This record gives sequence, C-alpha cells and structure tokens, in this order.
Amino acid sequence: MYNHDGQDIFVIDGHTHLWNANPENWRNKHGESWARCFYAYHSGFSPPEAVWPFDKFCQYGEKVMVDDLFLRGYVDMAILNSTYLYEFYKNGFNSHAQNNVLKAMHPDRFLLCGSFDPRDEAAGLDALRKMTAEYPISGLKLYTAEWRGDSRGWRMNDPWAYKHLALAQELGIKNIHVHKGPTVYPLSMDAFDVRDVDHAATEFPELNFIVEHVGLPRLDDFCWIAAQDTNIYAGLSVAMAFVHLRPRYFGEIMANLLFWLGPDRLCFGSDYAIWTPKWLIEKFMAYELPDDLKQEYHCDLTLEIKRKILGENAARLYGIDIGAQKAKLSRDAIGVERASRVSA
Amino acid sequence: MAYNVSSEFPAGCDGTVILKQLDLVLDPELDESILQLGFVQSVQVRDGQAVVMLQLPTSWCAVNFAYLMAEDVRHTLLAVAGIQRVTVRLGDHCAAEEIEAAVNDGRPFASAFPGTGAADLSALRLTFLRKGFLVRQERLLRNLRAAGCSPATICGLRLCDMSVRDGLVSTEPAGVAPVETGPAEVLRHYLDRRAELGLDCARSALLIIDTEGRPLPTEQLERHYQDARMIRVALEANGSFCRAMLAGRRARAANPSNRAIGGEFHVQS
Repeated sequence: MYNHDGQDIFVIDGHTHLWNANPENWRNKHGESWARCFYAYHSGFSPPEAVWPFDKFCQYGEKVMVDDLFLRGYVDMAILNSTYLYEFYKNGFNSHAQNNVLKAMHPDRFLLCGSFDPRDEAAGLDALRKMTAEYPISGLKLYTAEWRGDSRGWRMNDPWAYKHLALAQELGIKNIHVHKGPTVYPLSMDAFDVRDVDHAATEFPELNFIVEHVGLPRLDDFCWIAAQDTNIYAGLSVAMAFVHLRPRYFGEIMANLLFWLGPDRLCFGSDYAIWTPKWLIEKFMAYELPDDLKQEYHCDLTLEIKRKILGENAARLYGIDIGAQKAKLSRDAIGVERASRVSA
Repeated sequence: MAYNVSSEFPAGCDGTVILKQLDLVLDPELDESILQLGFVQSVQVRDGQAVVMLQLPTSWCAVNFAYLMAEDVRHTLLAVAGIQRVTVRLGDHCAAEEIEAAVNDGRPFASAFPGTGAADLSALRLTFLRKGFLVRQERLLRNLRAAGCSPATICGLRLCDMSVRDGLVSTEPAGVAPVETGPAEVLRHYLDRRAELGLDCARSALLIIDTEGRPLPTEQLERHYQDARMIRVALEANGSFCRAMLAGRRARAANPSNRAIGGEFHVQS
C-alpha cells in the first residue's frame, strides 16, 4: 500500500521472480552470462543506494523478497513470473515450483504463473493439465525466446501454441503474460517481432495478453498491435526503470502508451529482483509528465491514472475485489507485521 | 575524434580515415553509429590487415543484427586504401564463432547457420532502414511544426523549398516568407537515408513522402507523424538501454572487484 496524501493506493507488482542464479546452478557459460546480463540492467539503472552485490543478486531467498516487496516496497500483491531456462541452469532459473514456495507461505499475496512450451506438442498439453491440477496457477508466463536443444525459440501463432492456449482457456486461465527476447528463430527475421501476439490475441479474444516490458525493444510495433486488439495489455516492467535515470524517455514512453492504449491497459511491474519496487514506486508517484508532452499527446499521468497502473488494472484482470482483498491481507502474517511497523 | 577506442595504426597510416569509415557503420536497430554507441572496442591495422574487436551490449544481442554490423565493418574497411584483409571479432557473443567465420570469409548469413532455415537478411535490413527513414523524417517534421508550418504547407513542400544557411535550414514555400526550421544536420540525415532507399531526391520532389515514396495527403499527416514519433521514441529508448548495458560490462571489465556499481556513473547517453 502506498499512501499518497492520506489516500491508500493498492499495489500489484505484475512482474516478480524468486530465482536461483547461483554459480552451482549454472549449467554452462550461458548461465553466468544470463546472470551478468540481468545484473547489468540492475546496476545500470538502479539508484546507487539500491544496487546489490552480485552474489546477493544471484540468490536472495524468500525472506529478502518478502521484505523488499511487502514490508519496504509498498506492494500488496505480486505476480510470480516463471522463467525456466533449463538449458542454462541445472535446476532451472525460476520455475513455478520454486516460485510456489513463496505462494505456499503467503497464499493471498501472490498470483502464480505457470507456463507451457508448444514444442512439447501433445505431451505439453498433459503437462499443462498436470501443472494446473497440482499448483495454484492463475496465469501463464510464456517466453518465446527460450532455447531448447537445437531450437532457439517459437512463436505465439504456431499451431501447437494455439492448442495450448485453447487448453489454458478451457482450464479457466485468462491471463497470458508474454515475454519476447532475442530468440534467433526464425533466424533471418526480426526476432523481437511482436506480431505473433497480435495473431494469438485475435484468435483468442477471451484471453488477455500482457506483453511484458511493453515489447521493448519493439515498443513501436507493440503500440501498433495494442491499438488494434483491446485484449492486449502493457506490462511496464523495464520501462519503469527509466523513471530514475532517463525521466524524459520515461515520459515519452508513458505518453505514447497513454495515447495508443489509454490508461486502463497499463500494469505496473518491477521485474524484481532486477529492480526493487520501493524506489520505482516512490519515483513513479513523484513523477509528473512534462508540460510539452501533456500538450503534444493530449494526456496526463494523473493520480487516478497512477492508481490504475499501480494496481487497479491488474486487479481487474485477475478478478480481485480490492476492498475485500485489503481486508484479507490486513490479517495475514505480512499484514500484521506491517501494522506493527506502522504503529511502532 | 574523441571515441574511446583502443587503436594501433602503422606509421604513415591515417587512423582518422579508418575511424571515420567505421563511423559510417550503423546499428541497424538503433540507426546510430556503432562507433558513437561504443560498440567498437579496438582497431588494429598491421601489414594491410585490419582487426576490429566489437563488443555488443549483451551476449544475446540478436544474431542477425550482429552479423549485419560485422559485415558492414568488413565492407567499409575493405574500401580503405591499403587494407586488403579485415577480421572482425565479436568477443563473448553467443554466436561469435559462427558469425566471425562467415563474415571474415565473405560468406552470407545463411552459410553461417546451415540447417536452420536462415535466409537472406535484406528484408530485415530494409525494414530497419525504413524505420530509420521515418525517425529521421519525424525530427524534420517536428522542427517544421515547431516553426509554425501548417499540415497543408508541410505536405506541399518540395525539396527546392529547403535551403541551408549557416548550419540552419530555411524553409521557403512558394509565395510565403522563409522560416527557420532547425539544424541542417536533421535535413541532411533525412536526405541521406532517402537517397539510400532509392527514393526520389530531385529538387522538384515532395519533401514529405512515405517509405514507398508516395505523397502524403494533408489529412493523413497527423497520423503519419504519430506513428513516426512512436518509432523514434522506441529507437531512442533502445539506444539508451544499449549504452547502459555496455557501460555496465565495461565497468566490470575495468574493475572486476567492484561488484556494486551505482547508476549514474556509467550511463553516458
């Protein structure tokens, strides 16, 4: 909960991880490169006081995460994005099973994302059924750039991807988080191309597609498809980080998102532990869109819109009644701990 | 030139010519010089052979774009008198071996990755040349709008209505007093790319055209501008990220024991 002039703002962090990037878990040099690459994002864009040493960044554990999100970071609920990377990490980077440790400890605080890989074909459908039966899965996180044997990625409109999406819908899953990355498939095409999401969103109008990192580095293509399909949402993690070092770009990105998508389809995310929500939220709440951008784009980042971005939009996607949820959360272990800190 | 590139040139070889030549190589995604982005780590010329070390912002920088940059480095240096051979190195890039083998041997992209369905990269290159064209045009449009030119005026401008004086563009539509419309560099960048795309650059040609060379009806100008503006913001944001990522790697390489490196220190853009 962020308190702004006596008003409570309910915060859902739409993009968090509990990962294990410890050297013992590196399968090969890519495990190290991956962790170093994440760390470069972390150290390059965080304010100096929020930068961690690399070894802490590789594995921080449940307690630190709970503290950073809920006790110091204003977050009320968080979506756990699962990212497997078995080709780089022996036991996976951030599987739903790893994430579920936290979900089990604080069931009302977390929304757990599962995943599928259409390259598993029929076996993948069984795995998805099993995953949703065994774990409290409320959304999916898909990573089209994931390496697998000789394959270097897949696309959202592959026939087997559609079969998996149809099954997800049948299983009652509504929210599909999609992350693009520099896959090399198809090798000679633009690997970051988000147009496959456009096809899937048209094919499955009942599902919501949250494009993580607003399609960066293809922000332009993302805005284009999101303007066409109203079931495409912007996951703001990574874009948020500009608020500190590059406030002008941040303003330009926000102005464009508001212009093309409007205020109801933008969802906050920290990408924890790449960035910690405390400073992101504080700087976001203090941020004012520059006057020239307000005029040029005919939009503003008002308190009401910030409130939507920080929690209300994601709550709507996941069917969360904020009032009822707040009451429930005030009674869990974290809520009690928070209350005691406030009164202390 | 003030680029932070470690270089070694033999006596009598003008290093600035080589650096100027490298400055022409662009990151196709960002439409910026790889030299200015800091992707060129070192250049060494010895016995007619140039060796260029590139360091891209991450090990995962897209393979196809990495190939394009390496290939362009080779071509641009082979055009320099006295250089007979060029070797490009990609450091710890995840496909360094395959790309280096193909590029340094003058082989096409597809041959670097046999059996993967890799094809010719010309369509990809064209897509990004066009994005760059729109971004360059957006900067020009922004200046024209700021100078008070109406959409109808803008859509009616011809190349002969634009002239350069003292580093500034003067825009003089028929029968109207001239207005100053920003730095000459903005116009030059736009016209360079326009020519590169094979679009009409005759003095009588319309100034504002789409990527296919078609004129823009006045009522479509606003939407066209909005689209181009979005592409510019995307490219600039990506460039900022790439610089920050690269600076992070450099800082780590320079001082591996410094594990907690703060924000502002190493972001240059």
